[in-house]
Amino acid sequence: MYIYLPIAEVSMHIGIIIGLGGGVGFLSGLFGVGGGFLMTPLLIFFGIPPAVAVSTEANQIVASSVSGVLAHMRRGNVDFKMGAILMVGGMIGSSLGVALFSFLRSIGQIDLVIQLSYVVFLGIIGMLMLTESLRTIIKSRQPGAKRGKLHQHNWLHGLPFKMRFRRSKLYISALLPLGIGAFVGVLAAIMGVGGGFIMVPAMIYLLGMPTSVVVGTSLFQIIFVTANVTLLQSIQTQTVDFVLAGLLLFGAVVGAQFGSRAGALLRGEQLRGLLALMVLGVCIKIAFDLVVTPEDLLSVELVR
Amino acid sequence: MSLPVIMPRLASGLAMLAALMLSSAAQAAPTRLVADLSDNRVDITSTYHGTEILLFGAYEGEEGDDIVLVVSGPGADIKQRRKAKKAGIWVNVETVTWQQAPSFYHIFSTRELNEIADGQALQDAEIGASALQLTLTADANTGAGGHHAGQSTGSDDTQKASAGTSEQLANLDRNMANIGLWAHLPSSIKTQQNMLFRTTLALPSNAPTGDYAIRVVHFRDGVAISQRTTDMNIKKAGLSGLIYRFAHDYSVFYGLFAIAFAVASGWLAAVAFRR
Repeated sequence: MYIYLPIAEVSMHIGIIIGLGGGVGFLSGLFGVGGGFLMTPLLIFFGIPPAVAVSTEANQIVASSVSGVLAHMRRGNVDFKMGAILMVGGMIGSSLGVALFSFLRSIGQIDLVIQLSYVVFLGIIGMLMLTESLRTIIKSRQPGAKRGKLHQHNWLHGLPFKMRFRRSKLYISALLPLGIGAFVGVLAAIMGVGGGFIMVPAMIYLLGMPTSVVVGTSLFQIIFVTANVTLLQSIQTQTVDFVLAGLLLFGAVVGAQFGSRAGALLRGEQLRGLLALMVLGVCIKIAFDLVVTPEDLLSVELVR
Repeated sequence: MSLPVIMPRLASGLAMLAALMLSSAAQAAPTRLVADLSDNRVDITSTYHGTEILLFGAYEGEEGDDIVLVVSGPGADIKQRRKAKKAGIWVNVETVTWQQAPSFYHIFSTRELNEIADGQALQDAEIGASALQLTLTADANTGAGGHHAGQSTGSDDTQKASAGTSEQLANLDRNMANIGLWAHLPSSIKTQQNMLFRTTLALPSNAPTGDYAIRVVHFRDGVAISQRTTDMNIKKAGLSGLIYRFAHDYSVFYGLFAIAFAVASGWLAAVAFRR
């Protein structure tokens, strides 16, 4: 059965939409990631206009982050104070991001910027994760491997406006999470992602947060950032298709359940290695599309 | 002026004269022509996936007559972008905007258009992309990298609008055909005993909403002798129309609603699958 998506203005088979949601949901359950970085390129690939894909995915991530954060809250794995600072930064960043998005769209360069952001950030994160998980796998086979320090101190810890974050056992400058939140917010708005795949490593390596609270806190702030993107895109570009978001969500919720069960069968470093390969796969595919000669150098878009 | 330049002009001048005489002869005895369609209101509902519409009618024909049918959709500005390789990747380097071009333009005919009439006669009957008299403007904020605009139409627009060259028109035609909105469908009209004609309009799911004009032209010996126009309307209806209007007319509430919907369904999912 085909369904006409009222905002995207394309008709798509309902099985494809729910299948996409289910497939990406399965992977996000398996790896414990949001899956926006997979879903947005897939939606574009299936003919959803890029602007609609990015805004609609933000709407869907609101839902998946809410359901994710509830589990972490029950276990007390959310640092609300840190989350609030990250959120303030995220609100500023994502508002700038939506404005930037509108501007780039008006000059016809939004597709390029989306693609380049994906290549750059997925490339960096994928390579980092791959080398890290390979190192862990190799290390675990060598007896007597020693653990490193909890976190290193560097110039970032010398910034002013220091604040105490009890849950994260940190005493650092508030400017640091504010800046990270803002930077990830810009990317979230432009790439149609929650930004967890950048936020989580940034929290661990730049802020030095304990890994137990990282995912919950990241999810907590993603809710607000993606809700902000949803609202601003609704007002400025009218590109949020909640019919599409709802159907994707339905598939994703079910898929994630199976994914998290399958994830329990694999070891952490193996999972991270697989995720790294998948991230790099998406990165290479998008990079390839940028380099290969298009079938037609000219393209059209209707403006009304 | 050299002779090779004058000759074609002379020839086309003569052809025009001949066409004029023929058409005035035809006007003396106009043929009757009626046209209708199976549905002149198309509703885009939640399960819409394109539709087919039967276009049919009757004409006073003779052996060898032709019918051309033009379906044109609401006018829209069409942005056309050109890619070029910059630093190893393909980037949009130039944008032109075609002013108020038909967003949908399907031409049906009994034969190839060039077998039915010559270019001038088609132009006079307003058939084909070149008869649309489209103008285009170069967008200011893209690099002016070597675009080849046609002659100025002399319009007093603040932006320099120019008529598209035949090459630019052919490119637009190809691009619009690729997304299914423009089409040339020769030999798509079936006729019976030089009295009845019919064809099928396949509306793609991305057909723009709005008012469509359906124009039927009766050709005899390469001259348009009679024509008739009817109309059709495509609109979003039912739930999909409601959502579209909600999103555009009350965008703040739509956004808040989308967020509330997401929060509620996320919470519901967490409760339903609580481990």
